Amino acid sequence: MTLRALLLVATALFSIGIYGLLTRRQAVALLLSIEVMANAANLVFVAFARYGGAPGHPLVLFALAITVAEVAVGLALVMLLYRRHGDTLLDLASEAKG
Amino acid sequence: MSPSVTLALVTLVAPLAAALVSVVIPPIRHRGMPAAILTILGSLLATGASALLLMEDVAGRAIRATVPWLVVQGRGLGEVGVRLDAVSIPMLGVVCLVALAVQVYSVAYMHGESPRSYGRYFAYHALFLFSMNTLVLAPDLLQAFAGWELVGLVSYLLIGFHFDRPTAARAAVKAFWMTKLADMGFLFALLLLYARTGAFSWDVALRPEVAEATAGLVFLAVMGKSAQFPLHVWLPDAMEGPTPVSALLHAATMVAAGVYLVVRADPLFAQAHWVQGGMLWVGTATAAFAALLGLVQTDIKRVLAYSTCSQLGFMVAALGAGSAFAGYFHLGTHAFFKALLFLGAGSVIHAVHSNELKDMGGLARRMPLTAVTFALGALSLAGIPPLAGFASKDAILTALEGRAGWIPWAILLATAFLTAFYMGRVLVLTFLGKPSAAAAHAHESPPAMTIPLVALGIPTVAGALLGPWLARGLGGEMHLHLGLTPVLASLAGLGGLGLSLVTYLRGREAPLAGTLAALDRASVVDRFWAFGYRSLLLPLGGALRWVDRYLVDGLMNGVGWGTLEAGQAVRPVQTGRTRDYALAVVVGAVLLLILAAWR
Repeated sequence: MTLRALLLVATALFSIGIYGLLTRRQAVALLLSIEVMANAANLVFVAFARYGGAPGHPLVLFALAITVAEVAVGLALVMLLYRRHGDTLLDLASEAKG
Repeated sequence: MSPSVTLALVTLVAPLAAALVSVVIPPIRHRGMPAAILTILGSLLATGASALLLMEDVAGRAIRATVPWLVVQGRGLGEVGVRLDAVSIPMLGVVCLVALAVQVYSVAYMHGESPRSYGRYFAYHALFLFSMNTLVLAPDLLQAFAGWELVGLVSYLLIGFHFDRPTAARAAVKAFWMTKLADMGFLFALLLLYARTGAFSWDVALRPEVAEATAGLVFLAVMGKSAQFPLHVWLPDAMEGPTPVSALLHAATMVAAGVYLVVRADPLFAQAHWVQGGMLWVGTATAAFAALLGLVQTDIKRVLAYSTCSQLGFMVAALGAGSAFAGYFHLGTHAFFKALLFLGAGSVIHAVHSNELKDMGGLARRMPLTAVTFALGALSLAGIPPLAGFASKDAILTALEGRAGWIPWAILLATAFLTAFYMGRVLVLTFLGKPSAAAAHAHESPPAMTIPLVALGIPTVAGALLGPWLARGLGGEMHLHLGLTPVLASLAGLGGLGLSLVTYLRGREAPLAGTLAALDRASVVDRFWAFGYRSLLLPLGGALRWVDRYLVDGLMNGVGWGTLEAGQAVRPVQTGRTRDYALAVVVGAVLLLILAAWR
């Protein structure tokens, strides 16, 4: 396993996340896509920590904690969306339309 | 703070407090009488304080107590405070005393007004006393200007007191714009003075041309406020105000503020010889012109108004001759006897319900107290010795001896004759002769009106005694001598009075009628200003309104409209769908990436 392979995996994960973010309509699916992207970034950190000599481990721990908080907020929003519209299609929340 | 300064502050704070309380607490104003009591209490305090100040010997001394005003970078733009010296203290006393007399008088005179108007009237009076004292006590020209404009405002408010009468509203506007036109001079003088000296003091040595320009600009304002030819036209119309207002503002104190300012700023004017020469002629011309117009007025208040103009001309001429004392002395005596005359006229008007001389006549029997006090005032104005008016007019004529080839002296002597003549006419037509229908049922006014008359009668008779004291304070001296001028002045007064008594008592005015009718056409000055107002100022105002409404407002409205339209145009960008925003973020990130790779 080389650094290059790890970075390729991370890029693939990130691209999958973006694809999901742009194509999915369910709020939960979008949250999952964002998680995938976040973990791609974490993977890059760890890869460089292992092969590049950069001190990435503590940052990953921070990122995990922050991601957990983000998911908590995101799920709360999904709950609200469901209560309000009876569904979790994110397009329903279009009050910000100009 | 020295006791004198405290007393001076009382003369400012007491009337201001009365005015503020009357204005801020509506029930006091709306009930009327509480506002009157409050105002008179304030004036009583101010009068008491000014009386205590008068007892101090301030000859040759000046007490200044000031605080910096509009402090920028540790330096005040100007100063506010009080200046107590031999110039300000006598004026303060005159203003407070006359104001008090007029306010007490007004309690009875204005009783027919609704309570709301009554309260409003007294609130204005309290504000006036504060404003006038601000002007009188001013330590520099900046505060003097503030007081000057404030009294102008109160004058406007009180001339237009019966604002539901179109003539009164028009007279108020006329007075306002005529005096504001003149006040431009004051403003420019302030700017000039500040540009040259960095302060607003009148007590500085200036280069001759700067001194001439500054003094000339200030004198322009003086001409407006003190109704000097050709800016006098507002004063006769100002008689639309209630009679006590005419007595206080438009005879005794406010119109004399111009003369006071010249005396006050004497160090400045003494440097400006051209301006002084101009003052001599303007004053002489005003005195003569207004006296001539006074001969033909049929309204008792308008006679007195032209007489005020004329007497102010005397004062200005004296100042032009370099005699601050003579002008100032006449200011003081004139304040008392002219206030007395106006209050007497008010008492008559109150009794016969008309301003017209033809509605009066034979009132001496019915209103003895009014008649006696009015006659005293008239004799004093006519310059009959030894009344106060004689002493001060004699001081002016003495000061003019030999000036400009004796011409102003001769003109003013003739004017003194005319003064006596028109006052004799008023005396006869009002108090002697056959009573008119309205006058037959007249009766004496209540004590609240007659007591001020008697009170003002005392200085009218004995005011001459104050002359030497005033002269000492101003660093001059008063000559009481039996020379050419006093004899001729006495003869002019007695002669004018005698001639008019003969003419009007016997009904022999017919030979004069032609001359007098010609004089009536002298309102050409009025028409000149009316032309200026209607043909120049109003169209200019219209043009400015057009510019303001369509160009300035148009620009502002255009900017607002453009912003709204631009907002509408970009509204669709905000779809409200999360995916679109996410797409924008991704596209943005990609663009940044490309940019980073490309650099």
